[in-house]
Order: sequence, then structure tokens, then C-alpha cells
Amino acid sequence: MRLKGVSLRSLCWVVKALISHYWYRPWQTLFLLSGLIAGVALWSGVQIVNEQARTSYADAGQMLGSQASFWVEHDNDGGIPTSLYLRIRQAGVLDLFPVVEFSVRSNEGKRLSILATDLMVVPGDGAFSSENPVQSSRDWLSFIQPPYQAWFDAETAEALNIAGGQQLELDDGRRLPPALIRQSAEQGGRVVMDLGAAKSLTGSEQFNYLAVGPLTPEARTKLESLLPVGFRLVENEQHLDLKELTQSLHTHLDAMSLLSFAVGLFIVFNAVRFSLLYRRHTFMNLRLLGCGTAEIATALIIETLIWSLIGAGAGYALGVLLAQALMPGVSASLQGLYGATLKSVVDVKGTTLLLTWLITLGGLIWALFWPLLLQSRRAALVASRDSQQARDSRNADRFQAGLAALLVLVALLTFTSIENSADGFVQLALILFAAAMALPLILRTSLTLFGRVIRTPRFIYRWALADAMAQLPMLRSAMMALLLALIANVGVGVLVDSFRLSFTDWLSKRQSADLYIRANKVDYNALVEEGLESGWLLSSHQRYLVDVRWQGMPAQVRGLNPNARDSRELPLAKWLGSSPQDALKRWGESSDAVLINEQLSYLAGVSLGDEVELVTDLGPKRFTVMGLFYDYGNPYYQFYLPDREFRQLWPNRNSSGIALWLNPQIEGVTDLAESALIARGLEPADWISQARIRVLSLSIFDQTFAITLVMNSLTLTVAAIALLASLLALMHQRMPQFAQWRAMGVTHLELFTLVLLPLLLFCALTWLISLPVGALLGWILIDTMNIVSFGWSMPIHWDVTPVLRLGAMVALIVLFTAGVVAIIWKRQLARSLAQIGELI
Amino acid sequence: MKTLMLSCLVLWSAAAFGQSFFFDSADPPSDFAPVVPGVSIAFPQDHAAHSDFRLEWWYLTGNLVDEQGRDWGVQWTLFRQALDASPSQKGWSNSQMWMGHAAVTTPDGHRFAQRLSRGGIGQAGVSLEDGFSAWIDDWRWRSDTPEMLPARLNFALDDMQVSLELESSGPFILQGDQGFSQKAAGGQASYYYSLPYIRIVGSVTTSNGVHALAGEGWLDREWSSQPLSDGQLGWDWFSLHLEAGEKLMVYQLRDRSGAHWLSGTWIDAQGRVQKLNGDEINLNPRERRELSVRPDTRIELPLDWVISLPRLGREIRITPLYDNQWMATAISYWEGVVIAQDSTGKRIGRGYMELTGYQ
Repeated sequence: MRLKGVSLRSLCWVVKALISHYWYRPWQTLFLLSGLIAGVALWSGVQIVNEQARTSYADAGQMLGSQASFWVEHDNDGGIPTSLYLRIRQAGVLDLFPVVEFSVRSNEGKRLSILATDLMVVPGDGAFSSENPVQSSRDWLSFIQPPYQAWFDAETAEALNIAGGQQLELDDGRRLPPALIRQSAEQGGRVVMDLGAAKSLTGSEQFNYLAVGPLTPEARTKLESLLPVGFRLVENEQHLDLKELTQSLHTHLDAMSLLSFAVGLFIVFNAVRFSLLYRRHTFMNLRLLGCGTAEIATALIIETLIWSLIGAGAGYALGVLLAQALMPGVSASLQGLYGATLKSVVDVKGTTLLLTWLITLGGLIWALFWPLLLQSRRAALVASRDSQQARDSRNADRFQAGLAALLVLVALLTFTSIENSADGFVQLALILFAAAMALPLILRTSLTLFGRVIRTPRFIYRWALADAMAQLPMLRSAMMALLLALIANVGVGVLVDSFRLSFTDWLSKRQSADLYIRANKVDYNALVEEGLESGWLLSSHQRYLVDVRWQGMPAQVRGLNPNARDSRELPLAKWLGSSPQDALKRWGESSDAVLINEQLSYLAGVSLGDEVELVTDLGPKRFTVMGLFYDYGNPYYQFYLPDREFRQLWPNRNSSGIALWLNPQIEGVTDLAESALIARGLEPADWISQARIRVLSLSIFDQTFAITLVMNSLTLTVAAIALLASLLALMHQRMPQFAQWRAMGVTHLELFTLVLLPLLLFCALTWLISLPVGALLGWILIDTMNIVSFGWSMPIHWDVTPVLRLGAMVALIVLFTAGVVAIIWKRQLARSLAQIGELI
Repeated sequence: MKTLMLSCLVLWSAAAFGQSFFFDSADPPSDFAPVVPGVSIAFPQDHAAHSDFRLEWWYLTGNLVDEQGRDWGVQWTLFRQALDASPSQKGWSNSQMWMGHAAVTTPDGHRFAQRLSRGGIGQAGVSLEDGFSAWIDDWRWRSDTPEMLPARLNFALDDMQVSLELESSGPFILQGDQGFSQKAAGGQASYYYSLPYIRIVGSVTTSNGVHALAGEGWLDREWSSQPLSDGQLGWDWFSLHLEAGEKLMVYQLRDRSGAHWLSGTWIDAQGRVQKLNGDEINLNPRERRELSVRPDTRIELPLDWVISLPRLGREIRITPLYDNQWMATAISYWEGVVIAQDSTGKRIGRGYMELTGYQ
């Protein structure tokens, strides 16, 4: 069988010859495999997570199709009677269901939300969940009849330490119905039960509100005409487009995964370059035996295909495991930040697997196929010489550095035109690759400089330098991989540290009240009077909030008491006037000044002094922007108005809560305050204390960045292992040389120095280079990427500690390598002497 | 955060959810009240719900004609099922479930809709207080008298509003043996009465106008605890209004073994009722045709039939007004307008046919 000059039979032999290399050099094989699989795993793991999220949003989009477009509510937080609900149904409005929801606290102090509705009438489009616990009459009866059921999702159940069938005890002695654990996270951490169950817990016959689906204008008018006085139909202006909101988080994840993949590819590249040493002889022999370049090329294609299948397959499998591990963290972040919920079980999709394979193949073509092909095409005998290799390497370094310079130029030119996160990531990629490509030349030049500058009589050092120069071609790719990983670590480290510090600081200023009482359950004035009289209350204010849409995007308008402490200490990024305090004072006294959050400025282009129009309950009104405040992590636009203005413009909105500052000078003031609240009929579930909010916010933050940090560490570990494997392989190859040197009289210590010194030099240089580039990365991430993706920034915090820690890690790698090398020498050096002169 | 909390609710359609276990009971049939012969049926009391029994329905079909003389059909059914045999209680824990099916056969196509409700809260039910009332959500059968008729029936299907005035023009008929209608050799039976004489006048309002309709209707009332024996797969049921004034109801319960159970009632033009036994009825499907019942599923249904009643010397051919009158509700079945013809093909009447148990 002939195939364009290639006979199948001889092709098989060529393939065998090429692949046998891996058999004889198991360490190299392992090296290549680990790099490939790790890179693919990290990339595909994140892809799976992102895909999963997108599917969940699509499902949620359908769910959100049955999401309430309107609510029927009671004006004064009263309840909706069943008779009204039935009347509305009888009038033909069927996309409607009654909801009871309330908050409770377990006896261990954990807070939960209970959601109860009539599942029989929840409207939907028929996505019949296979996890539906109600599959028969008996199931339904268990749900609706005593002792009822309380449905928990797996994560909430775990957090509360509840197993199936157990009844969670609340802090006031009540017990929830027996638990049923469902795997999916669709419930979003809420506990679902039937209305009868809720009624037995709350004792109330009424619903908190009725959720209504989309209404035609006629249906809406009809519905409104049915509502008696005291009830109202409220439109939901907060339609969420989850995909848009969460885009940023996923883009970040994508970037990290691409970086990891790149590192993986570098490792493969390194492995291949390394194996060129061995394989050039194979190629030479094959050519001398009469194999044409076409045949070798075809064999190489087959080899690449085989590796791509192995790498994609194993990498994907690992990626699935990684995705399983990452999902809870991503879920929690998305839920905390945007309220989006994801399933926590990973779906394996054929298309992702295919994509993984294609990308692996693409990467391998660059990292494996191309170098081998080039090698195979060189004139057979010439290619087998070391000097050719060295010359090639020098040229390659220069070429790469030239390419790097080009990339930097492009980066500089496009810097000013970054408009969205994709552009930002392109910038980052340009810089990263520029750094990686320039590295070999930088290392080479540094070594030469060292050589010129350090004139030492000790020959050993000159020898070490020269040896380092010779080793450079071999270690190039491993160093590049290491550099990438180090840069990412430094950059992301800067980002995370800055964020954490600013966030903590901001939290303590913004959320500085001690107690927050939800909703409108208590007479504010009476409470404040009592508190001030008894002395436990220092100051307080009511919080007002309304959800609006501004230029089509979800936004919130808040009414703040300008004299309250947290308003006076509002951290402003920009302000009109001589000082922030001055601006805040003027804002508090004016009737048409508004404060906006950074997001409005960066994402919507609103600047200080601009006029914005807000639609109030009394009609549209224009306000002047007096100041810009930091609002980390908020996906919504925010407008702050003085509460007196707010109440005038939205006269029918009730306050959404009360903030209380307690007098720190009284002992046990929190208990005093809480007893006062209970005496007024509040339940512990009705308030939240600042410490709790802090902890909650920080945990959300931590989980969000935990993912990035994990990916970072993994990438660094992989790079480190690659470096180690590289070095070991190199050592192994040069073992006969070392043996020869020993035989010539070089002492152990000198030998050690010879080997370690170049390594130290390289690693130290790489580490040094990673610092400024990493800092640049961090700066871009914070000042450009964050603004472009999320709309807000923060002050950058430079901390030397993590950088030093990284340096220590690198030093550790070097020492570890040294240790391993020492052990190998002890065992094999003598034997290697026998191998001198062998053609390897 | 209300929106978000609600969007976190599990997504179940009212249809897929409840219907998966309608007709499935938590308790065995023997726990429910048994259907025994010798129980007298009296009106208006027996128009109300019999909660001790497992299944029950109030079922109206109407053969109507519009101003242009075209055939229309209307079907409205309210089903009740007791999910367990415990005594009914009011409130959310009530173990009754209600389902409504409605369909309109228009000259341009068949439309249907479904409603689902739990019992005990007033969302659906049948009541004799203050006049007879059978309702589910926005579907309502309402009489000012405790009798079922005269009444107004109003229901909506998507954008179609149906408003009918019903009047009886004849007596109620007790099916089977004084209302005890046996369904299988093993004694499974139901209580069954009908009203084949209903005058219907009303209108159907759609997006392209109001259609005035008039015609005749048939009401079936049935309740039981075990309508089918273990081997029975479903039934084929026919109700016909013949032009000479006669009425016919026949059904066959198809048994896996082939030993189908047939029964029927023949009412002549003078209103004399004759019970038809299994050996007096021959029901034979004349032609089977394929029908698309779901986007990716087609099934074969016997759509043309021949009903022969040898003792009466009658042979009636049945053919649907058009084929696709499938109720694609989760309990799905074929129900629609049929035309009755004699052996020469001449039209002699119209009625309804119901084919269940074909999936």
C-alpha cells in the first residue's frame, strides 16, 4: 500500500522507531506526559467549570422565564390572604404562585432562609428535573402532610450538619420537618417546604407575597383592578441577565486556565527539545537508512496524534476531577456575589472533550511536531553535531528576543485602546509571552556579562559559567515555563493582597454599624428613643433602598442619613470640592446632589459634575454627581441620596432596615440591645450583627480568590516539577562527563558547584525578572482589567513578603534538585565512567 | 433578593409534576370505598364529589355547529383523584388532587389545555352549596340550582374563551345496572350515569373573532376506586347523537389477553333505554393511521371504526372529523369529534370518541 511516497509497512517501522524513544527514556516520557497532562487538566478543568456555569445560567434563564415579573404585595408588609390569591387565579392569571418566606436560625446560630410555595402550580416550561423527589403520590403526600419535608441541597445540609430524615432544631426550640437532601444546588441554599409545613411553623395563614409571571398590558390592568386597597402590584425591575453579570469571573478563570495550558505546553516543548538530543541520532539513522522526509513527517504526525489523544484523554479526566473540586468554590462565589446558583455536580460534555483534544493537538503541533519536523529535515550528518545545536540555539534566542520586542511594541501601542476584558487579556498575554521569549537572551546576556565582570582566578567559577552557557539551550524552555508561573504568582499575589486589604478596610468603614435590623418590623422612633434613654444606643439610622433600572442596567438607589457615622466616613475616590468631608457635607444638604459608585464611572462613563436622570416614583429628576465612592465587588450601579430626599421622591417605599451603633462603653451592650429588640417582638432572625457580615463577606471574597490561588499554585508546582525533571534528565545525560571530570581529579565539592551554580544563577535571574513583570501584571490586573471587567479599582498594595516567599520556594527547588543530584551521583557516578565515549 | 430566591426554586411544570402521579395512588384500591351493586343514585346529591372513592370525573362533550354550518367540538372534564384513602381534611394537607382538561375542535385545528390543583384550599372543587358549582382556577361550571343543569360553562384555553349555556332536554340515564357499571369479569366497576340530552348554545372567542355555536352535548359522571383490572390497558369509548334522535354509548376495555370487555347503552328516538351486553356489540377498528403525538414520536391509532349491533340490526361507521385531536397532556389520549355514517357512507350522526391506553 503506497501513500504518496510512503509505504505503510515501512511507515510502521518508522513510527515504531520514533516511539521506541519513549520506551527507552521513561523519565523523559514521564516529563512530557506530566507537562502535557497537567496543562491540559488545568485548562479543561476550568473549561468544564465555565461550561457548567453557562448551562446553569441557560437553565436559570428558563427558570428566570418563570421568575417573577411582578409581585402582589401588601402595602405594609402584611400578608396576602388565600381568598385574594384564588380570586386572581379565577380571573385567569395562572402564571402565579404564593410564597411564604422567612428566616430562621438554627440552634447553632446558623441562619437559613425558608421558602414555601405550592409546587403544584409553580409555572414552568417542563424541564422536568430528574432529581425531582416527588415521583409518586406517596412522595407528594409526604411533602404536603405532617410531619412534612424540608428539602435541603447537599451543601446546605452539610454546612448545617443535617442528614436525611433529621429535623433541624432552631434556636427558639421549634423544629423543621424531616430533611430530604437533594443533590442539586438549584435551591440556592434555601430550604424548601410546602405551604402547609410553613404554616405549621409560622402559625400564619397568609402568604408573604404572590409571584406573578409576565403579564400583557390587559392582564396587568385586570389584575390591578382586582387588588383591594392595601395591596399593590410591584414590577420586578431587577431582571437578571446572569450571563452578563458573571462574565468577569469567568473571564478571569479562562485567563488563568490559558496560562496554565501555556505552561504545560512549554513543558512539552522543553521535553521535546530535550529529547532532540537523543532523537537526532534516531533521525540521522533513519535518514541514512533511506527514509524520506515525507515518511518521517507522517510518522511524526502519527506520534503527535497519539500524544494528543493520550494528553487530551488523561488531561480531561483529571480536568473533570479538578472541576469537581473547583465547583463548590465557584458556586459559592457566584451565589454570594450575584445570587446565581450552579449545580454542584459536573456534567461531562462531548463538545468540551473535543475542544480539549483540538487544543491539545494544536499545542502539540507547535511544541512537538514542529521542532521534531525541523530536526528531521536538517541534513542528516550536520544535524548530529553539538555545535550545530549550539549555533541554532543562539540564533533562536536572538530571534525570540526580536519577537519579544515586537510583542512589547504591540502591547504599548494597544494599551490605550483596552475596552473590555478580552482586550485586557490580550495585553496580559502579550506581556507574558514577551517576557518568556526574551528570557533566554536575557539569561545568555547576563551570563556573558557575569563572565566579563567577575574576573576570578578560581577556574571553577569560570568553568561553571561556561557550562551554564552550554546548558542554556537545554534549560531554556523549563526556565520560560518557570518564569511564566512566577510572574503569574507575583501578579496575582499583588492583586489578591491589595484586594483583601482594601476590602477589609472598606468593610470596617462601610459596615460600621453594630446591628442591622432587617425590614420594617419595629417602630423606629420608639426604638431609638428607648435606646438613647437607656444608653445602649449611640446612634442609628434607617436605610432606604429601591431597585431601579438605569439605562437598561440593574441599579440601586439608596437613601442614607448624611449624619450617620458610616455616611460621614464614606470612602470617596473622587469628589467635587476641597475635601471628601466637604463634598459629603454639601451632598447631605443639597436636594439634587447624588453620589455614585465607581462602576457607574468606569462602566457607564459618568463623571464628576455630570447630570444623571433617575426615575423616581414622582417622575424623572436630574441630579448632579458630587462624588464617586469605592464599591468593591458590587455588580450593580449604586446611587446615594440623602434619606430626606429619598423619602420625598419615593414616598411609598418603606425603609429596608435599621442600622444601630451601640455604645461601646457599656458592658454587655449587645445583649442589652438584643433584649430590647426581642421585647419589641423581633425574632433573632430579624437582625444581623456586623461581625457576622464581615465574616460572610470575607468568606465570599476568599472563596472567589481561592480558586485563582489554587490554579496559581498548581501552575507553579507543575513548572517546578518540569524544571526538576529537566535538570535530572540533563544530569543523567551528562553523567559520563561528570564521571570523567571526577576521574580527572575534580573534587565532589567542585563538581557540586559546577552543577549547582548555573542552576542557582538561572533560577535567581528568572526570579528577579519575574518581579518587575509580575508587578506590571498586578498593576494591569488592578488598574486596567478590574476596571474594565468589573468597573471598580482599589489602591494597589505592594508587599514584599509574598515575593520573598516565592524566592524561598525557588531556592528550595534548587536545593531539592541538588539533593537529588547528590543521591544520584553517589549511586551512579562510578558506573557512568564506563559509558564515556558512548554515542548517546 | 426575592427574585433570586424564586429563581432558585426548582423548575417543575405544573403539567409534568402532578400528572406523573395522577392516577397513581399511595394506597391500594382495596383501601378505598368499594363499588357495589344495589346502591341507588339520587340527584342532586350524587352530582357532588364522592371523596371516599379514588377517581371521579365530570365530563362534558359537545358537538356544535357554527353559523357557517361547520362542525365544531368542545370537551370539558374535571377529574378528581384521592391520593390516599384517609378521610379528607381541609387545608394544604388535603390528599385530593384535581385536574381539568378542556379541548376545542375547530375547523382549523384542535386546541387543548390543562389545569392542575391540589384539593382542600378552594382552588378547585365541586360544591352544591348555593347552586351547583364545579371549578378549577378560571374554569367554571355554574348553575343557580343544585342540579347540574341548566348551567353556564366558562373556560379559557390560551387565547380562546369559551362560554356556553347548557340546558337539559331529557332525563339522566343510569348506565349499567342502575348505575353500577361493571368493567371486567373480576367485578371491577364504577358508578356511572350520563345525560345525553343537552342543548348547548354559546360562543368561542378567539383572536380572529367570535363564533356563535349551537348543538348538543353529552355529560358523563363516573366514580370508582378501581376502574381497570390488572390486564386492562385502556379503553375505546364512543358517544353518538344520531340524527333520528337516537343515542348510543359503547365502550370496550381492551384486555391484554384479547378478552375485551364491551358494554353499551342504546336509547331509541322515544327515549327507551336498552342496555347492551358484550356479546351484542361488535367494535372493530377499520383503519389505523399514524399520528404525531410528540415532536419526535408517532404512534398508530385505530381512528376509523365500525360499530355493529346485530340484535338491533345497526351498523355504524365512525370516522373522525380530522385525525389530529390528540390530547398531549401528560396523561395523554385521543379525544375528538367523530362523524357517524351508515354502511353506504351517508352521514347519520355525530359524536365523540375517546381512545386511551395507546402510547
